[in-house]
Parts: sequence; structure tokens; C-alpha cells
Amino acid sequence: MTPAARGPRQWRGLAIGVIAAGVLLALPGLLTRDLVTALFFAFTFAALALNYDLLGGFLGYLNLGQGTFFGLGAYATFILAKELPAIVARFGLLALAAFAVLAGAITALLAVMVSYPLFRLRGAYFAMGTFGLFLLVRQLTLNLDRLTAGSFGIYLPSGDYVDQRLAYTLMLGLAGASLAINSVISRTRLGIAFHAIRESERAASAIGVDLFRCKQIALVISAIPSALAGCVFGLHFGYVDLESVLGIDKTLFPVIMAMLGGTGLVWGPVVGVALIRVIDVGLKNYLTLPVPALVVYGLILMVIGLFKPEGILAGLGKGR
Amino acid sequence: MSVQTLLELVLGGISLGGIYALMSLALSLALATTNMLNVAHGAFLVMGAALSTFLLRHTRLPWPAGLALFIGFCALVGWLFERVCVRPLLGRAPDRALVGSILITFGFALTFEAALGYYWAKFVDPQPTFSLPVAMPPFALFGVSLSGTRLAILAFVGVAVLLFHLFLTRTPMGKMARALAQDYDGALVLGINPQAVSAAIFTLGILATALSGLFFILASPLGPHDGLRLTLIAMTVIVIGGVGSLPGVLAGGVLLGLGDVFTAFLVGAVWSPVTYVLVFFVVLLLRPEGLAGIRHT
Amino acid sequence: MLEVNQLSVTYGDLRAVWDASFRVNAGELVAIVGSNGAGKTTTLRAIHGLIPAAGGEIVFDGRRLTGEPSYRRVKEGIALVPEGRRVFPAMSVLENLEIAAFASGARGDLRARLDEVFELFPVMAERRAQHGGTLSGGEQQMLAIARALMARPRLLMLDEPSLGLAPIVVERLYETIGRLREQGLTMLLVEQYVYGALDLADRAYVLETGRITRAGGGRELLRDDYVRKTYLVV
Repeated sequence: MTPAARGPRQWRGLAIGVIAAGVLLALPGLLTRDLVTALFFAFTFAALALNYDLLGGFLGYLNLGQGTFFGLGAYATFILAKELPAIVARFGLLALAAFAVLAGAITALLAVMVSYPLFRLRGAYFAMGTFGLFLLVRQLTLNLDRLTAGSFGIYLPSGDYVDQRLAYTLMLGLAGASLAINSVISRTRLGIAFHAIRESERAASAIGVDLFRCKQIALVISAIPSALAGCVFGLHFGYVDLESVLGIDKTLFPVIMAMLGGTGLVWGPVVGVALIRVIDVGLKNYLTLPVPALVVYGLILMVIGLFKPEGILAGLGKGR
Repeated sequence: MSVQTLLELVLGGISLGGIYALMSLALSLALATTNMLNVAHGAFLVMGAALSTFLLRHTRLPWPAGLALFIGFCALVGWLFERVCVRPLLGRAPDRALVGSILITFGFALTFEAALGYYWAKFVDPQPTFSLPVAMPPFALFGVSLSGTRLAILAFVGVAVLLFHLFLTRTPMGKMARALAQDYDGALVLGINPQAVSAAIFTLGILATALSGLFFILASPLGPHDGLRLTLIAMTVIVIGGVGSLPGVLAGGVLLGLGDVFTAFLVGAVWSPVTYVLVFFVVLLLRPEGLAGIRHT
Repeated sequence: MLEVNQLSVTYGDLRAVWDASFRVNAGELVAIVGSNGAGKTTTLRAIHGLIPAAGGEIVFDGRRLTGEPSYRRVKEGIALVPEGRRVFPAMSVLENLEIAAFASGARGDLRARLDEVFELFPVMAERRAQHGGTLSGGEQQMLAIARALMARPRLLMLDEPSLGLAPIVVERLYETIGRLREQGLTMLLVEQYVYGALDLADRAYVLETGRITRAGGGRELLRDDYVRKTYLVV
């Protein structure tokens, strides 16, 4: 789009965004604790789903292990806190924040390293490879129990929790940042390169796109907000264990949400998050079905796969 | 390490590897003829384990009847799965088919595992475990006493693999399947019906996979959530051995089986679920040509 | 036997064949000639059912073939010898032939069909245990034709059989095709080797960038000025 054409639309979009952000920021003061927690979870999954979609939707590489980054960020932060209690005692929240940033960096580094073997795979093999990575990290967490306390999990002394308001705001920020990242990328040359790769890798490399570098960049960019989200998540609840930060929901829901809402579209995952959160809350509190929740989600995945792999937003004809 | 221990471990590794190979054969063939990776593959192994446990331990059916029921049920499931989850994707454009197939099979795997775990705990046994401890007398070979169970497993697997091989090389359907795998378009030109082939492959393949589940639990138990992990194992075998190559799959399976068993012995059982993922990534790194044996979707 | 009316075939947005109409009567050898990219292969593949027709109709023995999948058409008697031979490289000659028979629904008469084919192509009988990938170009072409014949087709379509073969091999190939014609087999021959095809054919059409531009008897078109200038090095 030319700068001239960008003007009015861009400003209007920005204005709406600012107002929406303002409203969302004010909510913790207005709503009950439970609702704020519900929104906190929604923002968590929004960040995960948006991050997932960068690689999954824009590039077409389905990452069934997005939860790995989330869990790594959380565990890295807590392991640092556990091993360096003196620093935590001295600097409190600041120390935890520093650890979180460090954890994010470690996760990003891991994403860089793991992309070498991972991107030798394509299609369903890549998907299974990322899932294998997820299983591997889970198993290592369980096995290296001197470091991770195995299945018991790591706990923070209660004074150091991140309170609800701060956690809410931080997670909102991460979700917003993820949305912004996807939106910006979709408009730049990188986004075009991603799209080209998705359409035809051979054609893309023929016009000079560095395939591996693009994929690696996408993986790393999608890892960082998810890792930081893991840190915030863990610090808010005060503990990390296998099921809370490395549970299958963190790796599965982002996929469902992005797919349902509209994969490859900037707002798609957001729509998906909203829908699934509603379904989830409904299932937990109002509807007692004779089947476990995972069955419902598995069926949703199957239905999407059979009938509408592009998602709802794409079906409505909305663009990005 | 004594000779006894070594031989026991080797036998354990080969018999486990044989099961891995049998399971991976079915996956490899399905992949080659439909160009679709069935992520739910391991779930069918678990299904075989669960069904056989149920039929042979929780009902009072005589075992020939139980076995017959098992075969019939699993074949039916294979046919249905192909009809509902595979066939709709056969005609689609490649990228839509790919995403669709991952979603469908992954969704199926989740649904199946969750439902199995839930209902088994509810109606059969609150701690869902599938196992068929069949006491078989130890077998003496070269003065070393070997597990009769493991030898029996090896024999069963050997027969199953042989039957598979005969199917592929002697029957019309088997030959057509190989043709489809070698050159999809060329096979269509000849008038091969891809849907009929895929129906046969999945029916037989899933039956074979379920049977490997039955063999598996003769030696060690399985739980309802082992499905995805087992799919990963099958994929690792294919990565090592190449798609469609019977000797390759056998070699890969045995390699993994031995690795599994020796890791458990040397470092501890908790580490064996990790070995195959590591092998998976290491093989990927070491194969500079990527996965030449694998047909790309 | 075969009637093609206003056939149009598209690849996405690209139109490869425009409103092509032609016919093949029983017992005839009809040729469609044209240069590279004219749409010849596309036309054959559409008749076989490998690609869908975007417009027009294909009528075989009075029956409209629209929407029928390839395997059904093969069972009805249409066989294609594809461009580039496409024999199964890792399978023996015998297996290649067997599979062709199975695919077309042969039941008890596999032996009989094999004998027929071996009589026509004695070289195949010699090499029956050899793997398809180890045959020479000419032998592969023979195998490809033999395979198509295993289906006992009523209409045999050949896609550029002379492509990539040495002239002496092409000569022998055309002799074989001539013999098949004498046996009464209806054939549709598509070729870039314009001279050979027109010389052999009863009737022929010229296909240029997806459109039929000329039609007539084989020898007649050989004498046509435009054809001579464009396709024959005189």
C-alpha cells in the first residue's frame, strides 16, 4: 500500500487499537477475580496461538510443539530462581524479571539450534518432529529431577508471586505484541517471503528466498513471546510442574485455535481463542458431557480437518 | 555383563524391534500409497493392546473366539478409518490435504486416547493398563536360558512380516499397491483404483498394527496414552530405514529395539522413551541429503 | 468410437486446450500432431480421466465419460501409453504386465493375455525377469505399449511414443504400430514426429496452442503447404 492510501485507514485502526487496549487495561479494576483470571488465560492462549500461526499459518509448517517454548521459558525461570535464591531474596521481582528475560533468551537459542535438524523435515514429518521435541522436553524434565524436581515441580516462596494485576497486564502486553508482530510481518518483505514459501518452496528459492533462514527466523520469533508467556504464567501462580506448563493443552490448543479461527490470517487465531475459551468454560462449568474434554477437542480438530482446514475467518471471506 | 544377560538383552531388543518393524511397515505402506502420514498410527497399536486385553482377560470367551473377534473388529476399524479419515482427502490438492490429514489424524489420536483412558477407567479398571502376561517356559539355547515369551513374540512377528511380504509380492492387490507407491500417476494410467488400494492397505495395515499391539503386551504393558509416542517410534524407524524398503524397516526397527533395551539396562528405564527422539534428530542431522528415502508430501 | 466435442482443459487459470473437437472411428488410426506445448498430452490425459475437462464432452461408444475416474474408463476399454514410457522401474517386466492386467480387471485369462503380448513383442518374453529400469529406451517403449495392450483395450492412445528414441528404433516402433492397426485396433496417436504420424494415420488433426487448426486424411495433410512449411523440414 502506498503511504498516501495508508493514512486514514491506518490511523483509524490505531485509534481503535488504543481504545481497546485502554479498556482492556482497565478491566482488572472492574471485574471479579475469576473473570480476570479467565481473561488472563485467554491472553495466554492468544499469545501462543498467534505465535504458533506465524510458523503454522504464514509458512505452512505445523508446529505441534508450541508448548515446548512455553514450558521451557517457565522452567528456565524457576530453575534459575531455585539455584540462585540469594539473588531472589536480595532483588525480589527485579531478579525474577531478569531471570525471565534470560529464560526467553535461552529458549530462543534453543529454537535456533533445534531448527537445524527440524527443518530437514517437511509436512507431516515436521509436525511429528515438533511433537517429538515436545515429548522429549517433557521426558527430560521428568528425568533430570535434580534440576527440575521431576514430577513434583518447583515452587516459589509466596512473597515473590507476581500479583494478578501485573500478570494480567504483562500477558495482555505479550498477546498484543504477538498480534503486532504477526500484523507487521504480514506487511513486510519477510511476510511475502513466508507466503511464497507456503505456496511453493521451489518457486520461492528460485526467486532468491533463503528458505532455511526464513523458517529459522519464524521459529525463533514464535518462540520468544511464548517463552515469556510461560515465565509470566509460572510466576503468577508461583509454581511450575509438568502438567501446568508442559501440559498437552499448551501445545494443542494453540493449533486448534489458530486453525478454527483462520490460519494464516492475522486476526484468525484471536477469533479462535475467543471461541475455544467460550467452549472450554462452557464445558467445565455448564455442560457435563459423558465424555472427557479432550475427546471434544479431538473431534473439533477432526471436523476442521475434514471440512474447513482454512478456518472460520477465511470462510467468511475476511482478509487480513 | 554375563553372556546370559547379553543374550537376554539382545533377544529382548530384537523381539521389541520386530514389533516396531511390523508396526512401521504398515505405516510406511500407507504413507507410500496415500501420501498421507497417519499420526494416529500408534493409537491403533494401543487399540490392539486394549482390545486383546479386554477380550482375553475381561471376558470369558475362549481364546480362538476372542482372536477371531479381534481380527474382525480391527479389520473393520481399519476399513472405517480409511473411509472416514483418509478417503475424503485423497482427491484434494496437496497442501490442503496435508493440513487436513494432520488435523484429522492428530485429532483422532487425541479423541481415541482420551476416550479409551476415560471409559476403561470407568468400566473396567481405574488404572488402565493393557497387558497379557502369558507364562511361557524358558527356552535353552547354547546353554543359556532365554525367555520363552520373547522367542514366541519373535516367531509371531516373523510370521506376520512374512505374510506381509507375501501379500506385497504375490497378490494382485499387493502388487498394485507397490505400483501406486512407486509411481502414483503411472499407476493411475494403468487403471489402478487408488481408493480400492487404500482401503485394502488400511484395513490390513491397521490389523497388522493392532496385532503388533497384542504382541507388544505379551512382554510389557501399555497404557492408553502411549499412542503418539509409538507413532513417533514408527516414524523414527521409517526415517532410519526408508519408506517402502522392507529390509530397511526391519533394520531400523531392530536398531531402535536394541537401543531401547540397552538404554534401559545401562542408564535406567526412564531414559528409554527418550532414545528414539534423540535418534530421530541425530539421524536427521547425519543425513545431509535430508530424507531421501521419504516421499515428500 | 470416440467423439470429443468442444473439449476445454485448464490448469488453474491457464487454458491448455480450447474447444477441441475430433473423432476416432472404429478401426482407424487417427493422429494428432503439433509442436511442444500444443496441448497434445493434456488432451489425452483428459480423455483418460487423469485431469478433469473444464468444458465440452467426451463420448466413448455413445456414453458420456464426464466425471468418470480413470480406472473406470480403463475398464471400459480406453488405454493410454503415457508420455515418457513410465514403466515401473523396480518391478520386472512380467510384474509390469501382470499389474496392468489386474488393474484392468483381468481374471482368469492372465495367461492368455500374456501369450498374446509376448507374441507381439518377443523381446519382452526374453526379458521378462528383468527390472523395468534396466531396459533400453526402445524396450521400455515396447513394454509400455505391451502393458497397455494387457488391458485388451478397444481404444489405444499413444502419447509421443517416438520421443527420445533413435531413428532406427522409431522405425521398428512404427512397424509395430502398423501391425496393431492391421489387427484392427483403434488407435489415437499423438506425436511431435509429424512425418511418421501423418504417414501412418488414416486421418489426422493439427493441434496448435490448444486449438485444432487443420483436419484431414493423413497423407493429405502431408501434402498440405502449411503443414509442410511449419512441421516438416523439406
